[in-house]
Amino acid sequence: MLIGTLVYGFVNSAILALVAMGFNLTFGISGVANFAYGAVYIFSGFFAWILLNSAGLPYIVCVIGAIVGAGILGILMYYTVILRVKGIALSEVMATFGLGLAIMELFRYFDFVGFRYTLPIFFDGSLSMGEVYIDYQRLIIALIAIALTTFLYFFTRYTKIGLAFRAIAQDERTALTFGIESDRIGALSMAFGSALAAVAAIVILPLGTIAVEGGYEVLINALAVCIVGGLGSTVGILVASVLIGYAQTFTANYLEPHWMILVSLIAIAVILTIKPSGLFGKQKELEERV
Amino acid sequence: MQMLKVENLMVFFENALALNDFSMELDEGQIVGVIGSNSAGKTTLMNTLSGLILDMRIKEKRRGGERITIYGKIIYRGEDISNVPPSERVKKGIVLCRERHPVFGESSVVENLRIAGYLKSRGHIRKTIEYVFEVFPGLKRLRGRKAGFLSGGEQQMLAIGMALVAEPSLLLLDEPLLGLSPMMQNMLVESIKRLKSDSGMTVVLSEQFARPVLPMIDHGYIIENGMLTLSGTGQELMDNPEVKAAYFGV
Repeated sequence: MLIGTLVYGFVNSAILALVAMGFNLTFGISGVANFAYGAVYIFSGFFAWILLNSAGLPYIVCVIGAIVGAGILGILMYYTVILRVKGIALSEVMATFGLGLAIMELFRYFDFVGFRYTLPIFFDGSLSMGEVYIDYQRLIIALIAIALTTFLYFFTRYTKIGLAFRAIAQDERTALTFGIESDRIGALSMAFGSALAAVAAIVILPLGTIAVEGGYEVLINALAVCIVGGLGSTVGILVASVLIGYAQTFTANYLEPHWMILVSLIAIAVILTIKPSGLFGKQKELEERV
Repeated sequence: MQMLKVENLMVFFENALALNDFSMELDEGQIVGVIGSNSAGKTTLMNTLSGLILDMRIKEKRRGGERITIYGKIIYRGEDISNVPPSERVKKGIVLCRERHPVFGESSVVENLRIAGYLKSRGHIRKTIEYVFEVFPGLKRLRGRKAGFLSGGEQQMLAIGMALVAEPSLLLLDEPLLGLSPMMQNMLVESIKRLKSDSGMTVVLSEQFARPVLPMIDHGYIIENGMLTLSGTGQELMDNPEVKAAYFGV
């Protein structure tokens, strides 16, 4: 029982890390808290479903289509809405949240509700580790979370765009003096963040059905992980995912499964009272040194 | 050959006049100094030349504000670039090194230099990083250190090094000597001279310290309250009684 909880807690942590990664990336680079993140997540799910079931495309094409589609949606949101309010934090939150609501409720309005909205799992079957059985889909989730984290680590250190991402995140105006356009990088950060949401959706959604409510839940979980870990900190995201992930799994196994989301909300409340910048929030020590 | 011509530049922040009818000219290969005290308009001039003020104005306008006004013309190699965005100006070879040694504190020295080469090829970046380490040997042993943990002088060397990676034809240095010890100042002045002799780079540098700067410049402009009050060769300015009184305390 305990071993099972530990294994499933790790998978749950991987799910949270996957879900939070895109939100954190966009915020870390362009400073935009994308509250339409949950909407992008379920948009990707429904989009893949439509491509698969209505257009009848092979699944791999649907997966790529959903990821690219989410990226394009991110760029569109950036240029049409976010750019006009950029730099005014409250307006950014209201604009993206409103946009997210509109997207999600549109799906509900067009009757995207019910058990038939599911995405296929990648491989059937499960692996037994002693007395614990774990299905391949959950293993894939964990592997993809690890792979994406590693990819992002190298991407932001060794590629031009990645370095430009980090430059804009640190000092937009100085980055401009080297020809790094903040608008273009901002749009790219939205595209990357949204594409990561799509990857998360594609691997996580096969575990259940695609539902509009899932979008809200994803947003709350992403916010919880980012607030606990400290927005903009990759290490913080990983640590917070593990903390909240295990707390949720233990709650579900030993208390009540539907209290899981409460764990996220309580974590947000507790961290905001004790340490509002999060466990690994940006250190101030480097800022002024003349 | 004339490289840059600034015609009647005026910049307002709300109703405060930061630059008032400022004109200047410079030829290829010159080192030109803009000398003035704090709040004289040096940084506004540099930011207008590099396009940062234009960028600020565009971003502000997008949000519905119109507090920045720019009048006048900037002509670079015969082309009016007054409305060219900063990234395009970098492509044309106008590179600004902002005041107070602007480096990316959370990235290492080498990463900073690579970021600066955003518009350049990998080969070019590798080559110029070697050149930067040659001009500023002190940076080489610090290559892996986070830029935020360098001293002020080291950060300034890195900031200039970063500008070099962007391959400037016209290098704008905004108060490169600010907050540095006299020894460090001399060292930087020597390296700026070296840039000129190595690659014929044109340099505009703004300073409030006239003493280390005047001997090295081909031409100087004295700026006060956003207005041009005096211009001449470095020697002429050094001999001018008013400059002597204001900047050398004689």
